[in-house]
Amino acid sequence: MKPITRLILAAGGALLSLGMVLQPVAAAPAGPPIKIGSTLALTGPLAATAMIHKLTGEIYVEELNKRGGLLGRPVEWIVKDDQSKPDVARTLYEQLITVDHVDLLLGPYATGNILSAMGVAQKYHKMLVHHTLGIPSLAKYDMQFPAWSVGPDPATTVTNHLLDAFASVGKSPKTIAIVTSKFPSVYVMSEGMREVAKKRGLKEVLFLEWEFGNKDFGPIASRLKDANPDFVFVGALGLEGNQLLDAMKKIDYAPPLQYYMYPAPGPLAKAPGAEHALAGSIFEQHPPFTNNPTAAAFVKIYNERAAKAGLPDNAVETQAAASYSAWQIIEAAVTATKSLDDKVLSQWLKTHRVDTIQGSLRFDGPNNFGDDLMRLKQVQNGHWVTVWPKEWAAPGAKLLVP
Amino acid sequence: MRLSLPGGIAVAGLALAAVPFLGLPPFYESFLYLIFSAVVMATSWNILSGYSGYFSFGHGAFFGAGMYTTATLAGRFELPFLWTLPAAGLISALLGVGVGAVVFRLRRLRGELFALLTLAVTFVLATIVLNTPIDGGQGVSLSAVPLPAILSSPSSTLYILGLGMALLTLWISYRIYGSKLGTGLFAIHDDEDVAEVMGVPTFRYKLMAFGLSSGLAGIAGGIHAMFISYVTVGETFSIIVPLNVVLMSVLGGTRHWLGPAVGATVITGLLYGFTAGDYPVAGRAAVGLILIVVILFMPEGLLGRFIPRLQRRRRVTAVTAVTAVPPATVAAPAPAETLLKISGLAKAFNGLQALDGADVEVRRGEILGLVGPNGSGKSTLINLVSGHYRSDSGNIVFAGRDITGLAAHAVARAGIARTYQIPRPFAHFTVLQNVTLPAMFGRAALDRVAAESEALYWLEFTGLGDKADALPEDLNLHQRKFLELARALAAKPSLLLLDEVLSGLTPSEIEHAISTIRAIRDRGATIVFVEHVMHAVMELSDRIVVLNYGKVIAEGRPDDVMRRPEVVTVYLGKPHA
Repeated sequence: MKPITRLILAAGGALLSLGMVLQPVAAAPAGPPIKIGSTLALTGPLAATAMIHKLTGEIYVEELNKRGGLLGRPVEWIVKDDQSKPDVARTLYEQLITVDHVDLLLGPYATGNILSAMGVAQKYHKMLVHHTLGIPSLAKYDMQFPAWSVGPDPATTVTNHLLDAFASVGKSPKTIAIVTSKFPSVYVMSEGMREVAKKRGLKEVLFLEWEFGNKDFGPIASRLKDANPDFVFVGALGLEGNQLLDAMKKIDYAPPLQYYMYPAPGPLAKAPGAEHALAGSIFEQHPPFTNNPTAAAFVKIYNERAAKAGLPDNAVETQAAASYSAWQIIEAAVTATKSLDDKVLSQWLKTHRVDTIQGSLRFDGPNNFGDDLMRLKQVQNGHWVTVWPKEWAAPGAKLLVP
Repeated sequence: MRLSLPGGIAVAGLALAAVPFLGLPPFYESFLYLIFSAVVMATSWNILSGYSGYFSFGHGAFFGAGMYTTATLAGRFELPFLWTLPAAGLISALLGVGVGAVVFRLRRLRGELFALLTLAVTFVLATIVLNTPIDGGQGVSLSAVPLPAILSSPSSTLYILGLGMALLTLWISYRIYGSKLGTGLFAIHDDEDVAEVMGVPTFRYKLMAFGLSSGLAGIAGGIHAMFISYVTVGETFSIIVPLNVVLMSVLGGTRHWLGPAVGATVITGLLYGFTAGDYPVAGRAAVGLILIVVILFMPEGLLGRFIPRLQRRRRVTAVTAVTAVPPATVAAPAPAETLLKISGLAKAFNGLQALDGADVEVRRGEILGLVGPNGSGKSTLINLVSGHYRSDSGNIVFAGRDITGLAAHAVARAGIARTYQIPRPFAHFTVLQNVTLPAMFGRAALDRVAAESEALYWLEFTGLGDKADALPEDLNLHQRKFLELARALAAKPSLLLLDEVLSGLTPSEIEHAISTIRAIRDRGATIVFVEHVMHAVMELSDRIVVLNYGKVIAEGRPDDVMRRPEVVTVYLGKPHA
């Protein structure tokens, strides 16, 4: 190697090293904090899921402040416990706005609480970004923005995508059984499945409902076995899915195809009889989702912090991803407009896309809902992997239909 | 000038009505609304459950019925919101009255069975709402329903509605507390059967309390539907609603009109005080711990602990202020006239014939001794005449009126009073209150002031004047027996049924009792006297009826009857050769 070449390489190396050391370091945020207020169901029946949102928010705010905060100011997240009650959520949002004087609002967890908070936001003309509203048709306020991108009519789109997925592998079911909780956000989806199945020519061999809180799934499992459908659509919420699986296992029944609407993902994947079970998701912690460096970094830190916090499931999936996306939406709008004015921010969001870890979101559809980004995931070898659409499938994974 | 408690509440209400005009952040209105809503729920629950002791776990059902009435009428049929509130109250009240009309008829559905049944009503209603177009499983949104502009902002409007309902509920509860209805309900709480026998129309009173209680909860539900703006079955008919309400009432004290409101304010304030997100679980645990400690050390609730001292002071003042009335008048004796005619009266219990076609006649102004060995049917006869039991056959004519099958409270109103063999005073009533009640509900039907005067007279008469302010638990057996007597006399009955009033007394106490009964007779009372103390029977009775195996075996003058061989056989057995 010629000396000059060696010199150039050495200089290059030195520059590179220097460059690594001198990576742009954000200036420490200064000035009065920007206050972002929200409530979460930190106690009460919804607490288990709300803890995911709390952890995600804490991670995001920490990282955001390390990056220089918003508009050069630190961000302070004021989160209160709405105790899983809509009336308490409503009052706390009024407190956040009129007493704590927060600059921006982030939504609570669960449809009922979100709708209560939305009424308050509307009264004070505040923008509300929320993460998991299950019934888009109820979101009538024009300055509310959903981070869970399920489209304006998920009861039709999610269920159609599901049947499209089966068709894509040439395994369209001929008969369907729908069993569902009457919990509002689940029931809407089950009713949608019913309509879509009818339109697409599936024969409904069973439709059963149970009330939220039901613990006895034995009779439902028996009816399913008797009906012997090609495909079982389960409108279950959380561990109800596991309870139904247990009941089916006891009578040696395993449906050829089974889809769970809103399962507790960790416990369901590990349940006996869950192999090849399907569910919807906007994010799973595998490529191509984690090809996004932001997503990969979040997954890493979330996994660590969730384990440390003792959460039952440490993986990032729909809830954590929707929560993270909500913060990304706020950051994108404030950064782009350099404003904290709710109307300015809302106007910007209605006319721009926001890149999030679940994909590119838009808010120009009915009730500010954009695309349906729900994907299909499947339990394979005891783990959830995204299987459809193909561009979001885990490496090497494909929809398996027995 | 000292302000009374209700006066203080009214002043506080007026001051609270000014809050929307103070320019405070609207949050305070919302927070206070939560307290008002809890006050309405706990206070309305207490009207039935605290006062009468019928512990209901179904208050969530009536609250929910109100919520869904408003949600349906305003959300689906677009009726103005305020118009839906009377409907919400009416539907809930009708539901309460409907449930009560069935369950209050069944004596076995008291205590925990009533609590479970009302809880079941909640689940049944939730199922109906969930599986019909009322909800259908998707919830009902009220976000598009306009709020009337009572005040400048929606928060202020809901605030003033909540405040108005809280004040109205407290006023109703307060008025019931001091009314005849309230006294009757508290008596039902302590001993429903005795209350009925003393003239309290227990079925009607319970029904009224249930209707009011559920109606008020229904209106609160209607307002709350607008407050949260999205109504779902899961949250509306949750078990948490009645549990909170019960907890609030128990904490504040269920035996005072203001107790549940105090409990509701404390618990809502405490729960809200721990909504900071840093240590939510620790906060809730702290609230739970505080409640456990308070309930453990103050089982009568916060007001139960402090108010009785105030009440006792006032009562002593009242007792000294009221002067005893002149001797109670009773009907002038007319010995030949038949006051009570019992014909062919029969009653069996599980195949055992307790009374078997008994014929008994009681003449006005006499003391009739009813004797016989144990199990001969004496107490059964007393229970049938007083309406405590229904007869299987036969009839009872009292003062020319057929009272067979009449409810016990109607029998009492007709002029029959009784004592119990084992004294059954109302445990939470003072001695004076125990005697005042029959004066209000019995034949005398006096107002409260006159009834207290009457009661004081009979307490002096029975030697219990200095015990007026004591609770029954502070009395010995002798005094309790005389309390029974005073209660029966205060009703100014035409006929007095004394069931073994001397049993368990010492010889000197018996002599005292005999002279007291003689004094009662001297005032012209007609007495049926069930007794085993034979020398008292012989000394007091004008006539004797002897019962054996439910049949009348002898009747006549005491010395004559007790010599008859068949009577001697009953008491001493057949002579053996």
